[in-house]
Amino acid sequence: MKKLIIVGAALAAFAAPATAQETVRIATEGAYAPWNFLNDAGEPAGFEIDLANAICEEAGITCEIVINDWDSIIPNLLAGNYDVIMAGMSITEERLETIDFSDNYFPPDPSRFVAAPGSNLDFANLTGARVGVQGATIQAGWAEENLGANNTIVAFSTADQAMADLAAGNLDTILADGAYLQPVVDASNGAIEFVGEEVLIGDGVGAGIRKGDAELIETWNTALDALKADGTVDGLIAQWFDGMGPFFSE
Amino acid sequence: MLDLLPEWMRDGIGDDAAFWIGYLTNGKHLAWYASFQFTIFAALLGGTLALVFGLVGAGLKSSRFLPLRAIGDFYSAIVRGVPDVLFFLFFPLAFEQTVEWFVATQVCTPETIAASTSPWPPCREANWFLGTTEYLILASVSLGLVYGAFATNVIHGAMRAVPHGQLEAARAYGFSDAQVFWRFQIRQMWVYALPGLSNVWLLLVKATSLLSLLQIADIVLWADRLGAPNFLPAVGLVHGDWRWRYYLVLLIFYILVTWLSERGFEALMRRAGRGMLNEARG
Repeated sequence: MKKLIIVGAALAAFAAPATAQETVRIATEGAYAPWNFLNDAGEPAGFEIDLANAICEEAGITCEIVINDWDSIIPNLLAGNYDVIMAGMSITEERLETIDFSDNYFPPDPSRFVAAPGSNLDFANLTGARVGVQGATIQAGWAEENLGANNTIVAFSTADQAMADLAAGNLDTILADGAYLQPVVDASNGAIEFVGEEVLIGDGVGAGIRKGDAELIETWNTALDALKADGTVDGLIAQWFDGMGPFFSE
Repeated sequence: MLDLLPEWMRDGIGDDAAFWIGYLTNGKHLAWYASFQFTIFAALLGGTLALVFGLVGAGLKSSRFLPLRAIGDFYSAIVRGVPDVLFFLFFPLAFEQTVEWFVATQVCTPETIAASTSPWPPCREANWFLGTTEYLILASVSLGLVYGAFATNVIHGAMRAVPHGQLEAARAYGFSDAQVFWRFQIRQMWVYALPGLSNVWLLLVKATSLLSLLQIADIVLWADRLGAPNFLPAVGLVHGDWRWRYYLVLLIFYILVTWLSERGFEALMRRAGRGMLNEARG
């Protein structure tokens, strides 16, 4: 009898994903403030968490936010562990080969370099520099391609760790999203400054969704259209990114 | 957390101390403290399994039946040679995929396979979602498998170190083969095995710091997150690179575990050495 119950429970556990379809699981990294981070209470918070909640309310669906490492966030989407990625992920050709994206909810954002004051890096022909990036990002790809030959590209699993190593003097510069770096530079009291020129990579930030999950992409885009039109998206961007925008509403 | 204290105690604490108590007991820190349970659980379950695998492995290795002996030799030779990080990543993944493959052969139909949007598993119904509990158990089994291979060698060696005369004397007194094995060889083996097993145990404890590789929000992951510099007031306390402070706490934790383990093994050694005149007294 006991065995039967165990087998039954195991079968129920395997069958669960099919029936739990109404709940959409949204994965985020939780280490990329102000996009997504863990607040003092240890719960996910940030621009994308607010936006995800707004989208789910608009679309009338139940959502659950899950935290997943950046490195494995696409593989685990493909494995079906969750249905949507909202983690400051830029839409790129390369990623479009494996997953689909919703329309962007953040416009193309120039990537920028930061360094400690007085770094005197010659960006026209950068050589021998230690350049920090977050692994598996558009910046990592760009840096490897354009700076990789003469410099050391150091990839970190989170952007926070790259910042920590720049603060510790282990890096000469970091290349990352401008919108991520801006508040950091503003709040650093001159300990970190922008250097060099902006680099344009990617087509803005969108929600990553499994290829062929057309219904979900449709849901996301419809909700996003409504939220862009009524100014919700711009409002959240202004709130979390220190008055940036507006980008989407008139 | 602070508001739980009675008022006179709150007044007695200065503003500074109150701030730090508040900071160190916020949700993030509480989650960090709670995550110590994962490490302790993995160490205890992993250790127990390692001992079981070690005993089984040693039994296989000293078997008179060649295929069993070969399995024991293969296990201790191969698994000891593979880096524990690799095994840690490989075993849970391979196990998950095997289960999914097996379930897929049972529940998938051509229609559900056609409807599936992901390359693996073949159909949605066969997907097995691994949460913290599942990963924790798989991680413990991996630890048990890896360190069980070391324990196999230690125990096998210890069984051979039991003086032959003791066993012959036991047989001469008319004990059966099974009695000789359990009451003399295994009973006396512990004295020789424990020093080696304490080494294996401490290596296993150290390897628990790898848990974050399997998506478990363990003590190392939280130390990383809490220690990373924060520049945004909206996120929490603004501070610089504090990783070393948090790593220091982990360092002290592991030293404490080591110290406790040493005490524990000393006690075990005394117990195993009861009634034995030789090495145990040393």
